[in-house]
Amino acid sequence: MSVAIVTGGASGLGDAIAHRLARVGQTVVVADIDAEGASTTAAAIADAGGRAVAIGCDVTSRSEVDAMVAEAAGIGPIATLVLSAAIENVTPLVDLSDEDWQHVLDVDLKGPFLCMRAAIPHMVEHGGGSVIALGSTLGLIVSPGHAAYSAAKGALVNLCKQAAIEHAPDNVRVNLVAPSATDTGLFMKFSAMAPDPEKLRAQIAATNPMQRIGRGEEVCDLVAFLASDASTYLSGSVIPLDGGMAARRIV
Amino acid sequence: MGPVTISAGLDFTALLPDKVALITGAASGQGRAAARLFGAHGARVVVADINDEGAAETVRMMEESGSEAVAVHADVSVRADVDTMVAAAMERYGRLDVLYNNAAVQMSGRLVDCTEEDWDLTIATNLSAIFWACRAALPALLEGEGGSVINTASTLGLIGSEGYAAYGAAKAGLVLLTKQIAVEYGPSVRANVIAPGSIDTPRFRKVLDATPGAEAFVEGLKKNIPVRRLGTADDVARIALFLASDLSSYVSGAIIPADGGLAVYR
Repeated sequence: MSVAIVTGGASGLGDAIAHRLARVGQTVVVADIDAEGASTTAAAIADAGGRAVAIGCDVTSRSEVDAMVAEAAGIGPIATLVLSAAIENVTPLVDLSDEDWQHVLDVDLKGPFLCMRAAIPHMVEHGGGSVIALGSTLGLIVSPGHAAYSAAKGALVNLCKQAAIEHAPDNVRVNLVAPSATDTGLFMKFSAMAPDPEKLRAQIAATNPMQRIGRGEEVCDLVAFLASDASTYLSGSVIPLDGGMAARRIV
Repeated sequence: MGPVTISAGLDFTALLPDKVALITGAASGQGRAAARLFGAHGARVVVADINDEGAAETVRMMEESGSEAVAVHADVSVRADVDTMVAAAMERYGRLDVLYNNAAVQMSGRLVDCTEEDWDLTIATNLSAIFWACRAALPALLEGEGGSVINTASTLGLIGSEGYAAYGAAKAGLVLLTKQIAVEYGPSVRANVIAPGSIDTPRFRKVLDATPGAEAFVEGLKKNIPVRRLGTADDVARIALFLASDLSSYVSGAIIPADGGLAVYR
């Protein structure tokens, strides 16, 4: 029985991905700084007939990440690592504080680094694995007010390429999914803060070539594909999941 | 670089008249080459570096050839130093037209062997430092007639290579940070990236000295470079000059490789 670690699994896309990977038969380690939320996700997976374990984990803490991965490895071979934990900050560059800059870089970039560094040696030992990072359209193109988020997500793209190249001979594949706004992720949290959330969502949808925002299930489909043996020759890739949004702009 | 006469109406001998340029990492290599070239084109240059001796030598060389420059101590991995550096430039010259973020550290090591300390230092020096410098300098750049931000990324910020997890990530983050500045401050400030490949600088030589079979390694590198030679610090400085000057007045958010074609070859 293979293990899938999903960071940020307590809510949003992480929660949806955890459910999906449990449905395809993996034992899911739901890792999140929100331990209570992680337990809720794990319980919901168990109620639906799947196997899941909740572990409280702040991905910016090396010791917590190392402990989380060690606990996961004790359950079974880690075949899948989904790097889903992330935060978003919307502030013009000149108004961005040191603390906010550092926090976004720590969660969105250093977190994936610490998780990969801890989990990849274990994958290598067990003959390989698949790492799937959740990037963002804003790691490929930019939009005003996303200095820290864009820098972190842009850096994540290259971090994944590095890891892909270094561990290709070990059969560890590393790929990045770059979603635009979805009905399940950070976008819903962010847009909920707008004076008229539905209006903002409609406006964002209108700027997309497909005239709609993405669905959480669509992200799960792609993550499940990348976790599966259907993608055994796919590594170091950056896959936009954005209705064509990034393609329309010059990158 | 001598006078260039390719277009009537533009003086290619003094591309940066009266401009003030702040260049980090200007004590050696690419930063020093840019400082000297900017000075030769009429700019007053703030030579910032963690290496005070090298920075003083850059200033001495520039003064010897009739340029104006001042050295400022800055460890760009320390936020307070970055703020002080920008303040010193403003105090000295009262304006800032060009911010050239060239300082960087390069540590290699495979991802699973990269320590948290090396990761943090690389991200601070090669990414956070540029955020700090831009945040401090943008108000001054916005005041002028059109500021230019030039950020040094790397071929390794565009593609992956074994052993550069932290470095490659920081440089790729810098590419997006630069695009972000281009988008947010577009009306008055341009922001662009130079992505150098293998450049024959003192730092490169230092890495080579520690590499077994250095000559064979260099020959191997050259095989992957379409122009079949390493770059020079002057190769990069000329691109920086273009980006600093009004020659590039409609170039913003661009990534300009200085790599002899390396990035497209792979």
